[in-house]
Amino acid sequence: MEKETGKKQADAATDIPWAIRTEHLTKIYAQRLIAVNDMNLEVPRGSVFGLLGPNGAGKTTTLRLLLGLQRPTAGRAEVFGRRCGPNAVDVRARIGYLPTNPKLPGHLRPIEYLDLLGKLCGLRREVCKPRISTLLRSVGLLGATNQPIRAFSTGMCTRLGIAASLVGDPPLLLWDEPTAGLDPSARRFTLDLISELAKTKTIVVATHILSDIDQICDHLGVMHEGRMIFIGSMKDLKRRLCCDDFSLELVGSAENIERLGCEVAKQEGVESRIDQGGVLHVKITDGRSHALALAGVLKSVGAGDLSLEAIHSGRNATENAYLQLLQEDQSHGFDR
Amino acid sequence: MDSTDRMSKLATLMRPYTAICRHDLRALWQSRPVRLWLAATVVLTLLATLGNWGKLQDAPLIATLLFPYLVFPWFFIVIALGVTPVSGSQAETLADGILSRPVTRYGYLLATWAGRVITVLAVFYVVTVPAIMLVTLAKRPPAEDAVTVYGIVTTLGVVALVLTLIVSLGFLAGTLLRKPLLAAAVLIFLWYPVNFVLSTFSLEELSPISLSQATTTQLRRQWLGGDDESKTATNKEEAEALLRLGTNLSSMLFGGQTQQSKPGYFEPGKFEDFSLVRVTLGYGAGTLIAVGLAVLCFCRRDL
Repeated sequence: MEKETGKKQADAATDIPWAIRTEHLTKIYAQRLIAVNDMNLEVPRGSVFGLLGPNGAGKTTTLRLLLGLQRPTAGRAEVFGRRCGPNAVDVRARIGYLPTNPKLPGHLRPIEYLDLLGKLCGLRREVCKPRISTLLRSVGLLGATNQPIRAFSTGMCTRLGIAASLVGDPPLLLWDEPTAGLDPSARRFTLDLISELAKTKTIVVATHILSDIDQICDHLGVMHEGRMIFIGSMKDLKRRLCCDDFSLELVGSAENIERLGCEVAKQEGVESRIDQGGVLHVKITDGRSHALALAGVLKSVGAGDLSLEAIHSGRNATENAYLQLLQEDQSHGFDR
Repeated sequence: MDSTDRMSKLATLMRPYTAICRHDLRALWQSRPVRLWLAATVVLTLLATLGNWGKLQDAPLIATLLFPYLVFPWFFIVIALGVTPVSGSQAETLADGILSRPVTRYGYLLATWAGRVITVLAVFYVVTVPAIMLVTLAKRPPAEDAVTVYGIVTTLGVVALVLTLIVSLGFLAGTLLRKPLLAAAVLIFLWYPVNFVLSTFSLEELSPISLSQATTTQLRRQWLGGDDESKTATNKEEAEALLRLGTNLSSMLFGGQTQQSKPGYFEPGKFEDFSLVRVTLGYGAGTLIAVGLAVLCFCRRDL
């Protein structure tokens, strides 16, 4: 009977289309600081979900609430249909957590540390030992197994943290700034690893590095001051925002650039703005064709005594979209 | 489900916690403070034994060996061992490394508590038991003493209970105050005055200083025997004393008049109504309360 109930619960868990769900999740520290504010979130199963936001937006707090390291002030969080909390062992058994710059026990060696974690995950020796050696090889720490962890660099600690998050082979990975403090090759390795792991796991990557998000994520949540201000796919984000903006980097006298700005502004359905670096920002306002507008602007550039250094389209710039989201959120004032 | 299945299920369930306990034990035994402490206890015990070899009878000499654990100086080491696991920078390492894994908080705390208690008691027994055997079995110049095996075993048990209480108080202080140095300082500044306060309120059963004085009596005790009448009288006295203990404890905490203990109790050299049950209950309850509060506090804490 017990077995049947357990099987039913497991079946129910596999039927759930989302890996993480939060309802009105709120965390207020000491009745003073609102870290997470009324967050409703659903992370689809099998997705690579980017949790994006500036420093202090509440990304790490959200992950720690999911892990049960912190208790929500209000609301609830669920992972694969199971409620999160300090003693929710079954939830943590399904999560591999990588903290930012992980603090690891310095007196242990990598194999000892991973072995301990294997035991905490309830792995049998015959499963644990081969997995540890595979993981150490995968993260490139096979040559450092004789060193105590305290002798590791930041990058090595992060790589060991990655291995540690994978010891229990969990279906959900929560990685908090996995590329922080890594050199370019280690960063490349981490991003490639995420893409590889995404074939079999749900991955949540909390970061403020937009280029990482651009490369690996298919879904995105943008947090600002504890609130989730956007949830959707990457395509939705780019489509929804900044889709017809472009900017031109120009070389020439300030007067000529100023004159060009005025001429462009006179064109139908186009707004322009010049910043201090001599960059002309063009915004298409009334649904006019992007190509036609650009052709008009380029014609004006050619007519003036200016040379064109570069053109940047806002169509694919996640950064623009992200910044616009933050600006919009701030401008909403009380309506937020 | 047969018993083998149950045992296997229990073993699987307990695997993470035994791993934590073993990890903690290994870390402790590899740490310099614990090794130095062990060396220092060996040296001090040796000095105390050899220094009093021809002077003291068995019971006072054994009491001298136990004094450092009950009063000074090993008390500080035991507190320091208890305070560290869940406080200060340790908490961050814990959250990142262990508590984000499939273990419960209370399970973790109890496993580390067990590791600390085992370490403290191992140091205590490893050093004192051979010394006590040497003292009791060797032929020495002082007159023969009536120390009993029962007395030695129960006294060692009671001292172990006191040490367990101190580790538990360290755990509680470390969990509540979060800063290891502050927790140790608070505990030290509370512990010594508390003996005086306990004495004032006739709560000697909870005072290690008084206990240290009473060990000679307990060491000479025989295994409980006698007729039914004397057993009934003893039980009645125990019940009265327990009632007095409870009343005095509540008086101390919430105000009110205290009942004085019977004259002669814990007077130097005269501890005839020393009660093992009361002492065990006093320290045992204290330990349970301290561990319970530490677990409660740790489970409600944000990491």
